[in-house]
Amino acid sequence: MAAIVLLVALIVVIFGYKFYAATIDRDVVQANPKKATPAVMYNDGVDFMPASGSVLFGYQFKSIAALGPIVGPIVAVQWGWLPAFLWLMLGVVFIGWVQDYAAAMMAMRNEGLTMGGLAYKFISPRARGILLSFLYFYLLLIMGAFGAVVAGLLANPVVPIGLLILTLAGVLAGQMTYRWKMDLVMTTIVTVFIALVGIWIGTTTPAQHIVQWINGLAGTGPKHVLYQTPYGPMTWPVFFWGIVALAFCYLGSVLAIWRFAQPVNYVSFWFVALGLVGSVLGVFIAAIFHTTDVAFKIPAFVTWNQPKLGWLWPMLFVTISCGAISGWHSLVSTAGTARQLEKETDALPVGAGAMFTEAILATLAVIFAATALTKGDTVIYDAQNLYALKMGAGGVWMYGMSRFLSWIPGISPAMGGAIGAIFLAVMALTVMQLVLRFMRVASAELVGDKIPAFKNPHVGTIVAILFTFLILWTAFWQRIWVLFGGANQLFAGLALLLITIWLANEGKKHNWAFWPAVFMYATTVAALLVVAWKSFKAMMAPNTAVAFAIGNAVAGLIGFFLALAAIVLAVDGLKSLAKARAKAAAHAGD
Amino acid sequence: MTEEEKRGLLTKMLQSIQDVIYGMASHDMARQALKTRGSMEHLFILITMGDLLGVPILPPYYSLRLLPYVVPQISTWKRRMLRERDLTDALA
Repeated sequence: MAAIVLLVALIVVIFGYKFYAATIDRDVVQANPKKATPAVMYNDGVDFMPASGSVLFGYQFKSIAALGPIVGPIVAVQWGWLPAFLWLMLGVVFIGWVQDYAAAMMAMRNEGLTMGGLAYKFISPRARGILLSFLYFYLLLIMGAFGAVVAGLLANPVVPIGLLILTLAGVLAGQMTYRWKMDLVMTTIVTVFIALVGIWIGTTTPAQHIVQWINGLAGTGPKHVLYQTPYGPMTWPVFFWGIVALAFCYLGSVLAIWRFAQPVNYVSFWFVALGLVGSVLGVFIAAIFHTTDVAFKIPAFVTWNQPKLGWLWPMLFVTISCGAISGWHSLVSTAGTARQLEKETDALPVGAGAMFTEAILATLAVIFAATALTKGDTVIYDAQNLYALKMGAGGVWMYGMSRFLSWIPGISPAMGGAIGAIFLAVMALTVMQLVLRFMRVASAELVGDKIPAFKNPHVGTIVAILFTFLILWTAFWQRIWVLFGGANQLFAGLALLLITIWLANEGKKHNWAFWPAVFMYATTVAALLVVAWKSFKAMMAPNTAVAFAIGNAVAGLIGFFLALAAIVLAVDGLKSLAKARAKAAAHAGD
Repeated sequence: MTEEEKRGLLTKMLQSIQDVIYGMASHDMARQALKTRGSMEHLFILITMGDLLGVPILPPYYSLRLLPYVVPQISTWKRRMLRERDLTDALA
């Protein structure tokens, strides 16, 4: 079944790319390979630098693929694997590639403006201000959602030592490349080898004992419970490793980028590549040679209403974001990719191609989830309770990697699981560092004049970290995930609305962007209001501790604010769209 | 397809795979290094030739001796210095 699902996904994305995306690119947007792009025209060596299509494809894929295509599907199969898979396929073919590709084209044809500038130009100055404040809270939710997953991952005894050694190998790589000016191939071989040995060390019994000793330093009972939350116990390991994860992000945010963030990212890329290629091949090898059980254990359809998550509509569509459609990608496409495209015709393979490839990664996550009901005696999805997820999504991914990577000689299931965990942790931490860096800059820009302390990079970073802790330690992580998903998808709706207005201004057909925008708006505003209401309800539940009341209040207010900001933007956007359509109609009449 | 065409196609494919791996692994690092260098160059031009942008830095004799080397970059430098920035540029 797993191999069939993966094969169907490959066929769908190929057809979607070749027959739908390519047609729009050729006949509607009319990409012109001879037209000069901003990267070629300006080429200032700082913001605008041309790069080839293949290089940009790799860059775009690496920038957009984070936790979204992995955690989202693992959570979403609680409604059944089929709804999750269908949303991935239909979403990516009709909505996802549209946003990624068209955002890059729109930015490229408007002098490389980013989302704020485009909102200012096509909607209104007010739209830009609302978009930027929306962005701040959206990024805060990324910190909370990703931080919760990473803290859970690091609490597993096989993970932290390996990640620590990988981090040190990364710092060494930075030193070797930038200070000692050593050859990159030699640096890669040395540091990746050190990291590989480090990951193996992390799986050994003495290393696990060290982590278990740390995990046992506080808390009561066998799980080291620190305090109870309305959603289950907060354990000392998750509490402690959450601090460690955020300390890691703090370093990535304040240190020079070449010293920490970039080289650590570089070394960990090799494990991400190993994990991706190895597990895709592993699914087919398992299907042919029965090296592991690939039968789907979760039913195709479970329920319309999962008690902890809500109704399939609108919640499924915000639980799975990346892989189907994600607003984060519009930020990458406009701020990064559009300023590097050498020719217009590269936008399709880069923007659309990377998005379709991400859908395959998300399908892999569906397969990992659907083939794993239990892990030994541990229940992953509770068949007696509507297949509710009982383990962290990171743990499910680790288990999948341990099964599907172990066909490679020399990689034991424990090592495969550790690679899977580090794969996930690094992808999350990379984005979290970038987000924290942005939030530091945003705090200085938005608030720095009124509160000069925020101009200090450490202050802005620490404030963002404290907000993250508040969400991390007091709110239910699946709710944070859905709130993050809602914000993310709403950003996608905004991007699609901007794209629609741009196309209308150009006098081009725009329904292929307009109706996806309408769907995303309606679905995500509904989802955000549902989550906000649930958070407020949890806040007001009797005997709720003050900390949880505050955490839920913060989550609820953020959800409500995001929905409100989106509605105001939509009103302004639709006015601009009406003007653009009227202008186009007048021109057509001439 | 002739043997030569097949070899050419294979070479192109291998080159594309190499480029994709470079894009995923190292392009960001290379870009950051180039951006840092570019920023420092532009800062140097601002300090020595700021008068060209209306900043009251009158270039002394020694700065003017650098002018021939700076001339090819002046238009891109000016454009970058005067370009309106947005907060979302920080994500680039």
